[in-house]
Amino acid sequence: MKKTIIPFGPQHPVLPEPLVLDLILDDEKVIDAVPTIGYIHRGLEMMVERVEYTEMGFVVERICGICSFMHGMGYAVSLESIMNVEVPERAKWLRLIWAEISRVQSHLLWLGLGADAFGFENLFMHCWRMREEVLDIFEKTTGGRIIHSVNRIGGVKRDVSDSELAAILARLQELAKAFEETARIFASDPSIAHRLGGVGVLSAADALETAAVGPMARASGIRTDTRLYGANLYDQIEFEPVVETAGDCLARAVVRMREIPQSIDIVRQAIEKMPKGEGLPLENKPRGNPVGETFTRLEQPRGEVLYYVKANGTKYLERFRARTPTFANIPAMIKLVKGCDLADVPNIILTIDPCISCTER
Amino acid sequence: MANPLNLPMVPRALRNVVSRPATRRYPAEVRTPFEGARGKIEFDVSTCNYCMLCARRCPAAAITVNREERTWAIEHLRCIACNVCVEVCAKKSLAMSNEPRKPHTPADSRDGHRPGHEEWHGEAPDAAVTAARGSGA
Ligand code: SF4
Ligand code: SF4
Repeated sequence: MKKTIIPFGPQHPVLPEPLVLDLILDDEKVIDAVPTIGYIHRGLEMMVERVEYTEMGFVVERICGICSFMHGMGYAVSLESIMNVEVPERAKWLRLIWAEISRVQSHLLWLGLGADAFGFENLFMHCWRMREEVLDIFEKTTGGRIIHSVNRIGGVKRDVSDSELAAILARLQELAKAFEETARIFASDPSIAHRLGGVGVLSAADALETAAVGPMARASGIRTDTRLYGANLYDQIEFEPVVETAGDCLARAVVRMREIPQSIDIVRQAIEKMPKGEGLPLENKPRGNPVGETFTRLEQPRGEVLYYVKANGTKYLERFRARTPTFANIPAMIKLVKGCDLADVPNIILTIDPCISCTER
Repeated sequence: MANPLNLPMVPRALRNVVSRPATRRYPAEVRTPFEGARGKIEFDVSTCNYCMLCARRCPAAAITVNREERTWAIEHLRCIACNVCVEVCAKKSLAMSNEPRKPHTPADSRDGHRPGHEEWHGEAPDAAVTAARGSGA
């Protein structure tokens, strides 16, 4: 029987991400998928050889426009651990709060994109309108909507006053209430259940075998979350990772939906636990140049991200590497795409929340 | 078969029909920028001592300082609004205003104009030095 090869991307109406995938079809069934990584490779990791380590943070932030806060934070945390800088308590809590708010923002963005992919334009606009309010919080507190530039090696650059934090929390809690309606629509709309339910099922065994991370693994019943290891003050937060067992596209959407109120609750706990007051120290400046190497793991909205930094005592780092969650999820995605209908491919790809500019850096 | 009357989005959609739009008619209607927003670098030529620290530390190489000629220039289109120059300037000559930069059109680069380029010429520090150089400016 003759096979058809359909190029999926780099330009595809369903997702703005330039994912390059060759789908090998037998009639309407996908029998194989060949991903090509590197279409938008920008050589950001190589830039460490030409950009001083103090300035590299701004480059790392630009790896991705959605996880930009977490990338900046991951870079700063890596350098802090190499240079043995103790970050002031309040700065750590502020980082945690911003990180959780960026999770809310990212998941709202994804829910919108997901709705758009299965043709639910109205819901897409609705999610993005809510995300806009979260971006406003970022602009008020960090100065930037997408690229925040508040992380420096040794701390953060801006303080958020206690009254402002209380106002932000109130705003987020209102948002969580408004979001309940959207969550109900996602959970009960028959067209969504029809498009996502039972599609692209990743079993727990497969998720382990392909080393899926983040919401992708959690939707298949695996309790994995880098935040559980307690670094970056997460040990002082009470939370239980959201785990679903169905493993289909709907379960992946539900995991992200349930993580939004959870992140808002983490913000609440953080605001309660952080040291209060004005003028607390926010930054301990590092001295000298870094020597040594380190690994850092963070839980980004899309899953676990891994940074490797090697420094040799000069102003320029020897090696910087970021393994982003989408990269880790590609094997699982390929596994899901094999054997599904051509019409389901966009939905399956979207539910891994692909971020190709992260992956290809 | 799914219940054809199960349409949970309908109440929300109806509310959208009668409520005000969430968007603005930009550029006719512009939101006032937030207080802490990072918009555009502002320079105060009267306090700068041309130490060049800002130019050295700017990650985007957007600032050019010439100590001899006492000029300070910025390419706003290169600037990534990271605030580093404001943090390092000991003379507090730099400030980050919350007004965003205005967009440019191709018309702005006609007749040798450089969109986003701003340049300041400082006073000569000492009349004697200037006279010795014979520039007379
Ligand atoms: S603006 Fe500030 S840092 Fe830059 S040259 Fe002038 S005094 Fe130095
Ligand atoms: S804000 Fe940053 S990029 Fe812009 S001029 Fe200052 S240092 Fe350079």
